[in-house]
Amino acid sequence: MHFSFMGKQGGSHPEENKSRTSKLPIVDASVPKIMVFPVAMHIGAPAKPVVEIGDQVKAGQIIAEEGGFVSAHVYSSVSGEVIGLEKRPTVGGEADSIIIKNDYQYTKADPIVEPGHSHEMSKDDILSTVRKAGIVGMGGATFPTAVKLSPPPGMTIDTLIINGAECEPYSTSDHRVMVEHADEIIDGINLSRKLFPQLKKIYIGIEDNKPDAIKKMKEAAAEFDDISVRPLKSMYPQGSEKNLIQNLAGREVPPGGLPAEVRCVVANTSTIRSVYRACEYGEPLIERIVSVSGTPVKEPKNLRVKIGTPMDSLIDDCGGFAEVPGKVFGGGPMMGKTVSDLGVPIIKGTTAVTVLTPEEAHIGEEQDCIMCAECIHVCPVSLQPILISEAFERGNIEKAKELGAMDCIECGNCSFICPSKIPLLENIRSAKAAIKQKEEK
Amino acid sequence: MAQAIDVQGKLRVGPSPHIRSKRTSAWVMDQVIIAMIPPVIAATYFFGWWVLGMIIISTTTAVASEYLYQKLTYKPTTIHDHSAALTGMLIGLSLPVTAPIWMIVFGSVFAIVIVKQLGGGIGRNYFNPAVAARVVTKAFFTPWLANWVLPGGLFGSGYRGVDAVATATPLEFIGDGMRVVPEGAVPDFFELFMGFNLGGNIGETSKLAILIGMLYLIFRRVINPKIPILFIVTTFVTMGLWSSFNFEFMMTHALTGTLFFGATYMATDYSSGSLTPEGKTVFAIGCGLLTAFFRITLDHPGGVGYSILIMNALAPFIDSKLMPRIYGHKSRPQTKFNRQSTNHI
Repeated sequence: MHFSFMGKQGGSHPEENKSRTSKLPIVDASVPKIMVFPVAMHIGAPAKPVVEIGDQVKAGQIIAEEGGFVSAHVYSSVSGEVIGLEKRPTVGGEADSIIIKNDYQYTKADPIVEPGHSHEMSKDDILSTVRKAGIVGMGGATFPTAVKLSPPPGMTIDTLIINGAECEPYSTSDHRVMVEHADEIIDGINLSRKLFPQLKKIYIGIEDNKPDAIKKMKEAAAEFDDISVRPLKSMYPQGSEKNLIQNLAGREVPPGGLPAEVRCVVANTSTIRSVYRACEYGEPLIERIVSVSGTPVKEPKNLRVKIGTPMDSLIDDCGGFAEVPGKVFGGGPMMGKTVSDLGVPIIKGTTAVTVLTPEEAHIGEEQDCIMCAECIHVCPVSLQPILISEAFERGNIEKAKELGAMDCIECGNCSFICPSKIPLLENIRSAKAAIKQKEEK
Repeated sequence: MAQAIDVQGKLRVGPSPHIRSKRTSAWVMDQVIIAMIPPVIAATYFFGWWVLGMIIISTTTAVASEYLYQKLTYKPTTIHDHSAALTGMLIGLSLPVTAPIWMIVFGSVFAIVIVKQLGGGIGRNYFNPAVAARVVTKAFFTPWLANWVLPGGLFGSGYRGVDAVATATPLEFIGDGMRVVPEGAVPDFFELFMGFNLGGNIGETSKLAILIGMLYLIFRRVINPKIPILFIVTTFVTMGLWSSFNFEFMMTHALTGTLFFGATYMATDYSSGSLTPEGKTVFAIGCGLLTAFFRITLDHPGGVGYSILIMNALAPFIDSKLMPRIYGHKSRPQTKFNRQSTNHI
């Protein structure tokens, strides 16, 4: 029983369903013949392809260059031949993609920087390496990391928060990265110290349902006084950036603002590890850890996946489906995006592939609101979701805005908890879109 | 594709979140109905088999009147959300065993048609249907309701408790300006708590039974514990201030009348109560203060019902003043919102 006397909980408790994969060591995924690389696997401008059909590429060779300041390079994760430049289904709709036929030679391109010199790197060296490696937020947000790690001029950073909360049900990729690669995460943190000279405190926030990860991270961080591994109550969405800053640093990001405005930077565990590997080994971001789970999956696994691998190959690695899947999505069930085609590739921000049975994915029939106030109770940013939803349904966009629609972080708690199955988040999203449209006019 | 099950074209797509909690509106209502079983058992034990007859009549009437009203007005039927059954059961439990059948029927029809449906339907009504029906019934039909009887036991009392001994409710001795409990006027604490030798509305005699129901609802996370707790404690403490902390007086007030029953099953109603976390606190304390006020000033029982109705009317204003401060903002949202406007479905 979860219980809050004041009636403000700020989170919900969906069934975690992590036990099928949380103890499984990471294993290599198989690499299929055809790999698909969308040029927009990050927030910001799509990358521009720099290869032509028929080109031979090496593993770790750049195939699309960043299309602007907020953008990221795309690298091939295999060696082979470029056989297509076309639109392909991706998580989040059709997108321009580079198709590469794997030659299974794994001929490696030169590292992006000379390996073994990360400790000698200056601030600018690190930032340029992160940019060169095409690293983006690997917790799912896919915001280019080099941009995130360079706060706007005039803003100082005194707190670095490493997000190991992994509050999405089923997902265990960050969990396994922390258990198996704690040292590389700490090395990444130590590298990033150079970026923030005023840094005073580093928090690693981990939900208390991962005691083994907490233990490993504590051991790895033991010799650094300013690194504090903080167990967090297991509650969705504990890993949201705004809530981590509130719970760990005791600060609140102003509306529409950046964490840097309250002197914080938040990075995912896998992202900070990739920063280290890029600087130390000269590795561009061409692989990541993906947990594959859900009732229909025969043998769920934590896989080391080459970016560009279609989802069906991962499902095959997990023994296929034991029963008919109803919904498959990239990410967890609370914020993940559905796919209609298993040919969709794993991209830099795919933390997990989650499969639900039709029954599990069933959303009951919508009924009238009974005013139970549960949506208000679980909202992590203290909105009143039902009121925003109703304001929108009555066509009162101005009211939806006054009630804070733009502050919604779209965690999905309100829709999840609603006993009347009202599509609260959908309505709030529509309200946000309408507000934006109105403001642009 | 190697997997044996072909999924192409079969996968469903849709916006996140992709899972829903198992709780449904009907489940929530069912929990309250389950939580009323202990008071029903206690009432049957104390007042006899006719209690079950009363509850069947009130519940059936409530469900039937909701169904008929919605049929006659071409509205979708909502009896499957079980809220009408819940209201009916509450009405049955808040009448004395002597209440005539026509009054039970009147109470249920009034609650469902006038208060609930004309008030906008589920989730929209300003007033708690059961409380409003009870207060109105009392106001109009006092002669039929004031003949309290002592419980005659499971087999000792027949239809409408006809053979039972007439009595007065303890509130008639400790209200109306009293500051002490007159010697020998009311049963002792244990009897008040258990419901022995206590006349009154059938559902509210055994505090033990209500407490079991309350704990069940808290454990199931259906009601917010602060509502019943703050309601009862506020009345208790206010009575302490009034009586210079006469413990016997305070305890007798806490354990008599509709306080426990109202705080558990009525003040916790969703649509007529406060929506915001702080609003709920104000709502519960307000109910407690008003109950104490009415008990001090009135010479007849009914303070809990009046208090809940007054706070029902104030709840929308309380909510609009106490909207939660949104993350990152300096003040509460500066806006008003009338949640009780008509249903969109």
